[in-house]
Amino acid sequence: MDESDLLNRIRKNPENFSEIFKLYYKQIFGYIIRRTGNFDDTADIAADTFLKAFRNIHNFRYTGISVKVWLYRIATNEINLYFRHKQKHNSIFEHINIEDNSVFKNHIAEDRKEIEAELLRHNQFLSILNELKTLPVKYQEVIALRYFEDKNNKEIVEILNINEGTLKSLLSRGLEKLRQKCNHF
Amino acid sequence: METDNFEKQLADMTKPDVKGLKHEDMLATAIINARDKSVVSWWWISVPVFIILMLIMKSTFMPGTTLISAMHELESSQKYLSLIFFLISPIIMIIINAMTVRKIHFLSGSPKSINFLETIWFNVLVIALSVLILIIYSL
Repeated sequence: MDESDLLNRIRKNPENFSEIFKLYYKQIFGYIIRRTGNFDDTADIAADTFLKAFRNIHNFRYTGISVKVWLYRIATNEINLYFRHKQKHNSIFEHINIEDNSVFKNHIAEDRKEIEAELLRHNQFLSILNELKTLPVKYQEVIALRYFEDKNNKEIVEILNINEGTLKSLLSRGLEKLRQKCNHF
Repeated sequence: METDNFEKQLADMTKPDVKGLKHEDMLATAIINARDKSVVSWWWISVPVFIILMLIMKSTFMPGTTLISAMHELESSQKYLSLIFFLISPIIMIIINAMTVRKIHFLSGSPKSINFLETIWFNVLVIALSVLILIIYSL
């Protein structure tokens, strides 16, 4: 699909933003859950990411980076804010009106059950994630994008807006730090 | 554990996957219907703008009065009020707008083109006016 067409359609009718949701919500939600390992925080961060994207989609110019990379970039920024101000984090669901709140809460509860079960099926991943979360955020983001999201150098450089040399050095130093922490496994 | 082996272990291990999310459609509708609540309202800006316009009118229509002398006249009669209008408010406006430009730049996907100026022209204008007020006040 041509993304510039989609962007034009969204500018003409904001309701077409639901197509962005259909295309990328699951993927971005997956990225966030693999960074935080916590369903409730992930639901909040993912909703925040898409709310920010919706409010700024009219400012988004198609200058080489795709909508997907842009969403990853916003999500990464939101995750970093979450790690920095975890105690101050307010739930976005208190600020937006959900049409049928009880149905929505039921859906959230069902999704939570499923995702938490999925997390428990990946013990090794959770142990490594817990160690990764003790590293500075700059290492967490490059390692997560490379090894959890399977992104190549070009994609990571675009998402984080850094140059390739910086990426390589962050990856090698981050991997070494994580390896030392995981030595006891 | 060697780094190469560890790298392979990270790449090969299975990761949790998200297959379907039931709350997705309802959240999409809620976000599309959400209204933007801006912290900086036009009413908040209108008071200093009104005072400055008054001073401009005074300096234009009253013989022997300039904008600078009108500002200093207000300063001598209303010391704290003039400090708020001509020093604190412009500084706050510069900080808020500079942060907004930075945020818009990030949320626009960091565009490098001239198109970005179309988006931020109002913020740039407010920054320029605030700097102008600061310069006039310091004269």
